[in-house]
Amino acid sequence: MSIKSGYFRKHLFVDLTRGSAEYLDLSDAFLEKYIGGRGFGAKLVWDNLKKHDYKLNPLGEENLIVIAPGPLTGVYLPSSGKNSFIGISPATGLYGDSSIGGSFGVELRQSGTDVLSITGKAPEISVLFVDNHEIKIIPMPELKGKTSLEAEGIIREKLDVQTAHIATIGPAGENLVKFACVNTDWGRNAGRTGFGAIMGAKNLKAIIVRGHQDLPVYDIQGLMEEANKAYDYLREHKYFKLWQQQGLMNVIDYANEKGILPTYNFKDSVFAKYDQINGATMLDSYKIGDNACFACSMCCSNICLVKNGEYAGTVVEGPEYESCAMFGSNVGVDNFAAVLSANRLCDELGLDTISAGNLIGAIIEGYEKGILSLADLDSQEITWGDAAAILNLIRKIANREGIGDIIADGSRRIIERWPEMDKLILEVKGLEQSAYDSRAGSSMALAYATSDIGAHHTRAWTIAREMEEGQSWSDDERVKTVIYHQTLRPLFDMLGVCRLPWIELGLNERHYENFYRYITGNELTLEQLLALSNDIYDMTRLINVRLGVSRKDDSLPYKVHSSPSLTGPNAGKVIDKDAFQNLLSLYYRERGWNEDGIPPADLEKKFED
Amino acid sequence: MSKKLTVIPEQCSDCRICELVCAIKHFGVNNPKKAAIRIVNTYPHPVMRMPVVCSQCRVPACAQVCPTDALRWVDGVVQLYEEDCISCFKCAEACPFGAIYAHEDCNLPIKCDMCGGDPECVKYCPLGALRLIPEHALGDTKRISNVLSYTQMREIEFYEKGEKKTIRYAEIGKEEL
Repeated sequence: MSIKSGYFRKHLFVDLTRGSAEYLDLSDAFLEKYIGGRGFGAKLVWDNLKKHDYKLNPLGEENLIVIAPGPLTGVYLPSSGKNSFIGISPATGLYGDSSIGGSFGVELRQSGTDVLSITGKAPEISVLFVDNHEIKIIPMPELKGKTSLEAEGIIREKLDVQTAHIATIGPAGENLVKFACVNTDWGRNAGRTGFGAIMGAKNLKAIIVRGHQDLPVYDIQGLMEEANKAYDYLREHKYFKLWQQQGLMNVIDYANEKGILPTYNFKDSVFAKYDQINGATMLDSYKIGDNACFACSMCCSNICLVKNGEYAGTVVEGPEYESCAMFGSNVGVDNFAAVLSANRLCDELGLDTISAGNLIGAIIEGYEKGILSLADLDSQEITWGDAAAILNLIRKIANREGIGDIIADGSRRIIERWPEMDKLILEVKGLEQSAYDSRAGSSMALAYATSDIGAHHTRAWTIAREMEEGQSWSDDERVKTVIYHQTLRPLFDMLGVCRLPWIELGLNERHYENFYRYITGNELTLEQLLALSNDIYDMTRLINVRLGVSRKDDSLPYKVHSSPSLTGPNAGKVIDKDAFQNLLSLYYRERGWNEDGIPPADLEKKFED
Repeated sequence: MSKKLTVIPEQCSDCRICELVCAIKHFGVNNPKKAAIRIVNTYPHPVMRMPVVCSQCRVPACAQVCPTDALRWVDGVVQLYEEDCISCFKCAEACPFGAIYAHEDCNLPIKCDMCGGDPECVKYCPLGALRLIPEHALGDTKRISNVLSYTQMREIEFYEKGEKKTIRYAEIGKEEL
């Protein structure tokens, strides 16, 4: 067993303080153990953390930002355009990662780079240009204050890089908003855990990549045959057309029907006007095109345009379900054009739509309940569905004006300022919860509580299965389902592929062991790959434990235990506190962690080399 | 060969599967930068994604500038005769569509050869943005959609077996055009 192909074996390490860039060799052992993507990232972040004696300011120059595609990224197989950003998150102070689709990671790999890591801080606003093997750090002070999309346009023109792929940050990143995101390809965002702020703290406004090299594949004929089987399966699936047409927007109807759609800051879980913000509305009046990530036949993203009215001219890459739920039902907006406008504004300013929509919902409820006064809101009233006030607040967050300056520091800062907001904000470990209500499903609650980056569904999205078939699951089944998701889904993030063909259209995960084998020549079974992914979950836990995490942090928001949804199929349901603690203990035992959620002391040794 | 490779840009999602399968077929490598078809994405200004590929022109600008006559229109395809090509890339500059490509690993221009009549890109395009249609049918879609969008059309409703239906027609002689 060994790695025969699939990698360039190169780690590009950039130090912005020294203005230096060097290629470091990656060993076979490293490639085999960490695979790529999140695996590479977690290891490099872990090493960096050790180097700094486990004390590291996420917004200091010592924080390392890792950008890592995987060995499958850019290769001919379904939805291979994924790429991860990994680092210590300014939102949580813990391990953070966020993945993007599109073509950015493909282009980075084609430059001959398996992983890019960036430390230090540039003396002035600069861009990093990876042009095949030529690396340039270019000061571009003229980009200061420009929005993500403006900056991308200026860079394309000034550096004459029409066909390159570019990741930029907006004003929110420059202003160190803790949930600032990184925008690539005009609207695909590494949204969660604040990578925009990490780049902002490094004076790094953009990363430009351009590459022409062949991506190494061990057996291209074998790969082609395997990939065609997978593409054929997807094409024949009964929901394939629905995904092409609506993409993730089809989830609005589903979430509303099942009673898991965040509505009025999770006061409710069904939205009376859901049909004003759903996929059918989008198709009727707004969609002007499909948008796919690299090599993806499902093309779950859309391009929408508002053709008339107040928001006419708004064009958006998206929206996807999360953005639409968070800037639709969660803040009481029933005007799809306004949702698109909020989405576009967040793209421009470089804000994560999930955290922004979640916190704005909480602020509206806080004002409604009298926790926040009109003076706290800078005398600008904000109520459910008031799109103009919501858009205004988005701007204030990105620019850190008035109350926006407090919101910009995330949920924990808001709670520090107004302690009663603790009962209204849904967050875990300081990361605001994404758009699936977990009060109806304890496996989803467990997934949020134990996700290594905070309350995000990317590690385990078990809510649908629990809704369909899991109402009678035993605790053991719940725990095992969560852990299987937390093992397989991160494996996709290590390989550099999207999980949607598997989770949404049921593409058999066995394909991935074959893809991996045809690309790398390394014969590992799916079970062996899953074991490697599980190791990474242990490693991110070790990182978090070193940064202070234990059982007390694997906790659920107040509402999940104590404030049920008002209407809909899950009205009245909450997660019982004792039952949840039992579930958590079971989860730790299954993972081999102790009762306080700490992995065995000798486990760190496993990740020394 | 009387069939044309036609591009319907409105259907394109920029997934780049066409680029991948083209490069794998012709070079045996996974490299979209070696494809003879590339998607040009100008989003967001204007919102357009268009696969750019050789139109197999009957009066090819590339062939006209070729100093060694290495490009010749034969049976519906502008063929590149490799043995005659001197790799000057005048053709790439001359093509009015920019549909001839270059790559540093490749000595020759990269140009669509229609895969001998059964183009890979058409087979694998998941959205039908690439089609192979007979020459005599070129423009059919546009013609029909243009007729259907004729602004002077009228519409009436009627019931057929209890089901509400509509019929559209153009009325003779009563409109001041």
